[in-house]
Amino acid sequence: MSLTVVGLNHKTAPIEIREKLAFGSKEAIKEALRELIQKENIAEAVILSTCNRVEIYVYSNLSSDKENRETKSIEELIKEFISKFHKIEKSSFENYLYVYKDRQAVEHLFKVTSSLDSMIVGEPQITGQVKESYEIALSERATSLILNHLMNRALFTAKRVRNETRISENPVSVSYAAVGLIRKVFDDLSKKSILLVGAGEMAELALRHLIGNGVKSVYITNRTFERAKELAKEFNGVAVPFENLKENLIKTDIVLCSTAAPNYVITENMLKEVMYLRKYKPIFLIDISVPRNIDPSCNNLDNVYLYNIDDLQAVVDSNILERKKEAERAMIIIKEETEKFFQWINSLESVPVIVSIRNKAEQIRQEELEKFKSKFRDLSPEVLNSIDYLTQSIINKIMHYPTVALKNNCESKEILIYSARRLFGIDNEEE
Amino acid sequence: MGTIFFELALTLYFAGFILSIVGIIRKKNDLDKAVFFLSLIGFILHTVYLIIRYIKSGQAPVFSMHEANSYFAWSILLVSFLISFSYKVKVLNFGIILSFLIMFIGAFFPRGIPSLKPEIKSFWIDIHAVMAIFGIALFSLAFVFSSLYLIQEKAIKSKKFRGFESILPNLEILDKINYHLIFWGFPLYTIALVVGFIKYVSLVGFMFDPKEIWSFLTWIVYLSIYYLRVKEDWRKKKAAYLTILAFLLVIFGFFGINLLTESFHKPL
Repeated sequence: MSLTVVGLNHKTAPIEIREKLAFGSKEAIKEALRELIQKENIAEAVILSTCNRVEIYVYSNLSSDKENRETKSIEELIKEFISKFHKIEKSSFENYLYVYKDRQAVEHLFKVTSSLDSMIVGEPQITGQVKESYEIALSERATSLILNHLMNRALFTAKRVRNETRISENPVSVSYAAVGLIRKVFDDLSKKSILLVGAGEMAELALRHLIGNGVKSVYITNRTFERAKELAKEFNGVAVPFENLKENLIKTDIVLCSTAAPNYVITENMLKEVMYLRKYKPIFLIDISVPRNIDPSCNNLDNVYLYNIDDLQAVVDSNILERKKEAERAMIIIKEETEKFFQWINSLESVPVIVSIRNKAEQIRQEELEKFKSKFRDLSPEVLNSIDYLTQSIINKIMHYPTVALKNNCESKEILIYSARRLFGIDNEEE
Repeated sequence: MGTIFFELALTLYFAGFILSIVGIIRKKNDLDKAVFFLSLIGFILHTVYLIIRYIKSGQAPVFSMHEANSYFAWSILLVSFLISFSYKVKVLNFGIILSFLIMFIGAFFPRGIPSLKPEIKSFWIDIHAVMAIFGIALFSLAFVFSSLYLIQEKAIKSKKFRGFESILPNLEILDKINYHLIFWGFPLYTIALVVGFIKYVSLVGFMFDPKEIWSFLTWIVYLSIYYLRVKEDWRKKKAAYLTILAFLLVIFGFFGINLLTESFHKPL
């Protein structure tokens, strides 16, 4: 048997190459799968195509003696297929590809599915994308015993990694980090109000996240009131005049500040007064303007939490570092699961199965003979001998065809072995 | 004497304690379910133990050092369950840690049923002790949650996160829990003090006992926290600091005074 993955990702290939090799739609993937599995030597296939990677997983059931001579050609086969399918020269993309075989291929798939190979380590989307790719392959009947088991183990591994490490716990984008921090201070965001001072892409993004997290009352202020009104309409909020900034600070819990002002719009003295008037109810201020619009010394006031763009970036950086550390722990899980997968693969070898089945048959025969002997005690040794001979030859006759079939190197040998294990209840016994 | 129930509860609490410590070190919440079930089964056995003792002695099982610690630990765990459910926060691990430690101390004291002097033994003295210790249990948890509040607050304010904060609830919840613990603990403690004082006066007349003076001091501190918290403009951080201070007074009253002085509360 042999498993092969041929692919490229954001680390090995620039976007220009990735987009050329991408399988843009579900239909394209289905078509490609149909073509792939028609090829001789390719038994099962799965195609994973996302904006950051294109990977083709193939299982080939070449017998082991042919393997050494021909596996090279499986990899070539896939490359040629890519070239033909996307109608581009093989030489133009060949250098960007990576090829992994067997153990490495399994480990690679587990890493990809667990989001260890992602651009943003720990982002959860990739697991869903792998699942979807597998479902497409299933619907095209492009997978069978081996890849079915492999894909299920990959998804299981990803689940383990997510549950047992903290890999996707802390946010690694600035606007998510801001929301995460706000949630550390406030409980139920739907009861909190937010004030957007000024406008800007990042402020709007953070505002969107906060609204997505349940914030309902939104106030928007801007030096040009018209602009405030526009934004208020967009976010279903209330436009308030810029001159009333202080009054509005008294009644809001979260402030997103992003104006083009060259100086501090919110000073420490101003906020001191505000805090007194709001009875020291906690307030969270985010200043994403450069130059800064909120006096950094405001953070010294009790129950005031002020973060500027650098603070948020620092949180993001340390979270990324944390994820990298967690990735090392995730690798242990992946190695473990890879090992388990190969244990399963090894159980699909024919000789041990034949031995197990024969042992089992012999065991049954002996047990039944004993029962028989204890029932009919007065039989002569000659009769007993012939009964022994008779049962043995029955078993040999019955076992003949399964043994021959299992020994034969036919095309779907693994399936046959797997079925034999189930039919004769070998694994049940081991459990 | 049903001591087996105590041993079993202590063992289960110990298991919960270990898992909680492991969870805190790993900065993960994933052992919480196991902690919950261990604590719950331990708590049920513990409850059985308290009931058996009550039935056997006809007095609240709170008078010897062993009994007081055991009931103290029980109260803390009960309140931790209530907090976990009513605020839907994962804080049982902190409750079981505290509970186990107190229970563990209790295991070292003699377990016989203390014989109260007949003139003391009464319904009111039961009420006094049960309420006082329950109040102190609430204060102890207020101490824990105030500390957690300060840890979380400091991390957010200083912008330095070490990962431990991620298993803590948010500041608003922590503050609310603190508020409610004092809100319920203070009246209980007050009633306990009043009942105890009346009983004491009726027995020996106006005289001052060190425990009484200490309890009164503690009561004054909690009164100020209570007042300042009910009056909303009190800053949360300072309330947390004061709660920690008050607890240190209480715990000295609970262990120190009882053991060091020749007081009426000298353990039985």
